[in-house]
Amino acid sequence: MNAIGPVEPGEGTAVPRPAGRRPGTGRDRRPTALRRRPLAAALTAALLLAAGVCLYATRPDVPSPAPPTPPAPSQLPFPAQVVDVTFVGPHAPPPGAAPQFFAFELLLSVDAGPEVTVTRVSQPYAGMSVATAPRTPFRTRAGAARTIVITLHVTECETVPENDGLPFLDVTLRNTRAIQEQSFILGPRYAHALSRALQVACSNDSG
Amino acid sequence: MRQRSLIAITAALAAGALTLTACGSRDSGDKGSDSGGTTVVIGVDAPLTGDLSALGLGIKNSVDLAAKTANKKNYVDGVKFEIKALDDQAQPSSGQQNASTLVADKDVLGVVGPLNSSVAESMQKVFDDAKLVQISPANTGPALTQGANWQTKKERQYKSYFRTATTDAIQGPFAAQYVFNDAKKKKVFVIDDKKTYGAGLASTFTAEFKKIGGQVVGTDHIDPDTKDFSAVATKVKNSGADVVYYGGEYPQAGPLSKQIKASGAKIPVVGGDGIYDPTFIKLAGANSAGDLATSVGAPVETLASAKQFVADYKAGGYKEEYAAYGGYSYDAAWAIIEGVKKAVEDNDGKLPDDARAKVTAAVQNVSFDGVTGKVSFDEFGDATNKQLTVYAVENGAWKAVKSGTFTG
Repeated sequence: MNAIGPVEPGEGTAVPRPAGRRPGTGRDRRPTALRRRPLAAALTAALLLAAGVCLYATRPDVPSPAPPTPPAPSQLPFPAQVVDVTFVGPHAPPPGAAPQFFAFELLLSVDAGPEVTVTRVSQPYAGMSVATAPRTPFRTRAGAARTIVITLHVTECETVPENDGLPFLDVTLRNTRAIQEQSFILGPRYAHALSRALQVACSNDSG
Repeated sequence: MRQRSLIAITAALAAGALTLTACGSRDSGDKGSDSGGTTVVIGVDAPLTGDLSALGLGIKNSVDLAAKTANKKNYVDGVKFEIKALDDQAQPSSGQQNASTLVADKDVLGVVGPLNSSVAESMQKVFDDAKLVQISPANTGPALTQGANWQTKKERQYKSYFRTATTDAIQGPFAAQYVFNDAKKKKVFVIDDKKTYGAGLASTFTAEFKKIGGQVVGTDHIDPDTKDFSAVATKVKNSGADVVYYGGEYPQAGPLSKQIKASGAKIPVVGGDGIYDPTFIKLAGANSAGDLATSVGAPVETLASAKQFVADYKAGGYKEEYAAYGGYSYDAAWAIIEGVKKAVEDNDGKLPDDARAKVTAAVQNVSFDGVTGKVSFDEFGDATNKQLTVYAVENGAWKAVKSGTFTG
């Protein structure tokens, strides 16, 4: 079904025929093409006709183009299925900032679907708060990625574990399909960075 | 001249007829399974009888659906897929025997299964020696892919072993975080069934629960061959625990939850994907409201990609539910189908002589949009798509309460 015919030379790539030689040699040197012209013409016409019938008969069942309509909300992806949040690394705090404040860079990307709005970013511990730059709510369109800086502020060291193995951020996402809260577990690099920052923040706090 | 014209007309008609005949043979591509040519068998190993058959039959049916879908689409030109399902009864010895049986069948180019991590341990080497790819939709034990010392040094164990499910390295801690931070439970009693899956999951839960400030007020093991857990239920009641974590599966978890409540400890029982089945709720009874389970993946209703699977499964007329691992089983089977397709296309449209090795190599590099999202595998053979959901028993059914994505 996928047969490919012989490759035909492109324009200007045909090899010139050697001078003095012609197709058809020997006794019957009269141009055969001329002699067989009616047959060839009829064959060509029949083949073209058949090919046309063939193409028509097997044409895809494509309806006439309709004006594009936006997808129904039920066909749109849920925001948590198209958003990815990854840990980039620590972010330098402003000069003079207390050690109870520290910051990390994250990358938020949206793979597909309608624009996604981040309406809230939180973390689970009562003794710590989080702020984002840009401030929520902020929007990101499909195919785009943006850097977010989260600044964590430790207010009560006793209620914040210094050695959390699987820390996460809860991110509330909204698009035209749904509002979802998704936990993004940022992995061991984030866990180590957070642990180090907490140890610094809380050793100063106790002192 | 007249004779010449007749010849011309006859030739033209013949040419036209031939052209139309050729064009009429074009395949519309929706003729179903009659693609002829080579038959490739996808093996299935799962508990098809016994306590865990609800999960095992969901795996088998979902692989069957993938094979039928590939045949209907003529997805691999000249290849027809069939399945060969063997029952391991959740027993490692049966699993190993089944692995040998599947290896001996030269038409088998990939295997989906098993359900249990302990069964997988007995099968991995058999398949790896034969270079036969194995993809589990349900194994969550981290050591299967990353080695016994996965917490300190990850090391790929077998090049032929893959899984579409997330591991307990994430599932246990995710449950601990939910129990401690969202459910606000601080004192846990941890129980497991001493099996690879249950003990491993309980271990990863416990480690994280302690790290984040929780207290383990008691631990115990149960014998999965009995259904009388009254002794451990009494221990739970006397421990002062405000939550129980159970590493194991629903046939024991259901009665355990019921007996703990009957002892007077009105506290939730929490488990992993092994208890995430409607049968748990039936066995645990009305007092199971508030019990929790984590399971692999996002809730099906939030996955646009799962809608077609759910509809096709229903249309397929399968008697049993696709259950917790249906989507993951379909994706596992489809990864094998993609591997076969790659092996065939790279060998001028025919299966190569070393088809098993070629399919295994191709599976390592598959990437497609599956039922459960993007399907691909990392350097250990683990799924790159790592999502988890916490479910709670509400009004006699599991209801999703929180989902997470591992992006580390």
